[in-house]
Amino acid sequence: MLKCLLKYWLFFGASCLLIISCVSDVNFEQAETLELTPIMESSLIFFERPAYSFLDEDGVETQTSQDTVRVELFSDDFFEDHLIKAEFLFEGINTIKRAYEAKIDFIDDEDVLHHTFTLNIPESVDNSEVLNEETVIFEGSTLDALLMSTQMVLTLTLFNSNDGTVIDENTPGNLRFRSKGTFYLNIEPF
Amino acid sequence: MKIVCSLFLIITCFSFSQNKQLLFGFTEIPQSSLVNPAIKLHNEWFVGVPLLSHIHAQAGSSGANVYDVFSDDNQSFTNKLRSAVYSMSENDFFSLNQQVELFAGGFSYGDSFVKTDYISFGLYQETDAIFYFPRDYAILAFEGNQTNIGRSFDLGHLNVKGEVISVLHVGYAKQINKMFSVGIRGKIYSSVLNFNSINNRGSFITSNGQNNFLRHDFNLDLEFQTSGLASLTNDDNSDVNNDFKTIGKRILFGGNLGLGFDIGLSYKLTDQWQLDASLLDVGFIRHSKDIENYKLEGEYTFEGINPIFPEAGEEQTAEEYWDEISDQFEDLFNVDSTNTTKYTTLRPVKLNAALSYSFGQKMDKECNCLSEESEYQNALGMQLFAIKRPKGPQIALTAAYYRRLIKGLRVKTSWTADSYSLTNLGIGAVANIGNVNLYFLADNLLKYGNLAKAQSVSLQLGLNYTVKRNEN
Repeated sequence: MLKCLLKYWLFFGASCLLIISCVSDVNFEQAETLELTPIMESSLIFFERPAYSFLDEDGVETQTSQDTVRVELFSDDFFEDHLIKAEFLFEGINTIKRAYEAKIDFIDDEDVLHHTFTLNIPESVDNSEVLNEETVIFEGSTLDALLMSTQMVLTLTLFNSNDGTVIDENTPGNLRFRSKGTFYLNIEPF
Repeated sequence: MKIVCSLFLIITCFSFSQNKQLLFGFTEIPQSSLVNPAIKLHNEWFVGVPLLSHIHAQAGSSGANVYDVFSDDNQSFTNKLRSAVYSMSENDFFSLNQQVELFAGGFSYGDSFVKTDYISFGLYQETDAIFYFPRDYAILAFEGNQTNIGRSFDLGHLNVKGEVISVLHVGYAKQINKMFSVGIRGKIYSSVLNFNSINNRGSFITSNGQNNFLRHDFNLDLEFQTSGLASLTNDDNSDVNNDFKTIGKRILFGGNLGLGFDIGLSYKLTDQWQLDASLLDVGFIRHSKDIENYKLEGEYTFEGINPIFPEAGEEQTAEEYWDEISDQFEDLFNVDSTNTTKYTTLRPVKLNAALSYSFGQKMDKECNCLSEESEYQNALGMQLFAIKRPKGPQIALTAAYYRRLIKGLRVKTSWTADSYSLTNLGIGAVANIGNVNLYFLADNLLKYGNLAKAQSVSLQLGLNYTVKRNEN
């Protein structure tokens, strides 16, 4: 009888182990508060143009040149939902004896202008490197403007020289342009 | 949200390993022949109670446990998860194993008076999955690439495999002489579903560029193979019952089939010393039906967009140039899901070995002497378990103590050190009440106060109908 009792007691004990075992002090709901805030960096536009590339087919100096780059990334749903701030760094390095202006227009598919920015690149008097860089911060209303844009229009304007010289095939130097974007994201997966 | 949450719960809470250190060598439990086909079962014959004869679930994480991340302490969940992410390596894993026996039976036979042969058979369903912690993906998600210029994110950290199968098996154990027994078990596997992504390679590096501030190098060679999933997830009907019907058919050999075997031996070195060893699930499954594979392959280096300035007289127009870049990115990140190449998976091979020493014979009350047939009441053993996993074997060491408490009741306690914990205490008991054989084995007792704090949890229980041998 005692043995039988012991037997049942042990199994009762084992079953109790199952019942008393518990998962306490945990809260799975808090997963909903998960907030990921990665900062992504990406190269944007770059180019390097020797002085003679500012000549047209007839060898005459072109004062403005323009190109459009599609950046559908900004209007992507993911960016729209999760981008809280963006910083664009533009840098011009000039070794040509002429000053430039690089203007970047942010436009949408209907060519509506949402934001514009200008970087002045001073002339290089002795063909040594002259650098100018600027950071554009997109936050709040400017961020909205960025998110509505689908294209970046880059307009390069060549300013007249002080001494009246013009670019010809033998003009030394080049103009380098570099840029990158820093994207501050806030992702709440749940 | 619900799906992701459930998946996370499954992965973190109910992560399982496959060590059955308490069951191994516990010969009073008929199902111990599943972990060593050579053992001599104590019964004349047995039948398992359908669906109840062997239920096994084991949970563990080699890295952070549920409490580390989900404790209700008003701390920021994001910070707790971040700490967990940084505390784990890419070799940390969550794994999952679950088994339910649908039916089981066995009987002894033999020419001589002492029946030396034993046949056992059954059908069980098993779920097995392992998910290595994808550390670099997690760090990229937490930090981004800005603070990681020059760092190579290893995309090979994605390493996961899982399967739901049914196993029909027949085992044969033979006692060659009083000292030595061998056994083999043949298995037919039927895969209900399988997913597999274990040979991924590739990297993502952001470094200082030459033409622009940054240079991004993408090198992708990722593949995710599935069988049995496409028909369950792609079907138009939302009726879960149909899915259950499909799964039911596959359990009864309508799935992708495979073959395998277990072998084992049991050797009495002396009257008191005994060596037991087994090699389980040496086998494969060939996946040829209902395949859907995903592949992401390619290399690309991006330094930014270089405008053409059409006025400068370049031949390529800006639009063409843009299309080219756009195409290259699309190609790179285009997941090819048209691939239905058949594939073969190997089952995770498991090795068990134990050396045990029996002692303490029971005195006969009537004569105050040791009776001739008296068996040892205690046994001490050292056990080794190893399982082959995608990133190499995982090993566990166990010290075990076995005791016959009273007639019909045996207990075994164990102390295991493994990838999950160095102090895993377990206890198991089997009772024979008449012809009813009832057992219960549980792991990680120290953590039963709060399972969330456990690195691993395991539970096995079962109910059989057994008829004792009449050998004496």
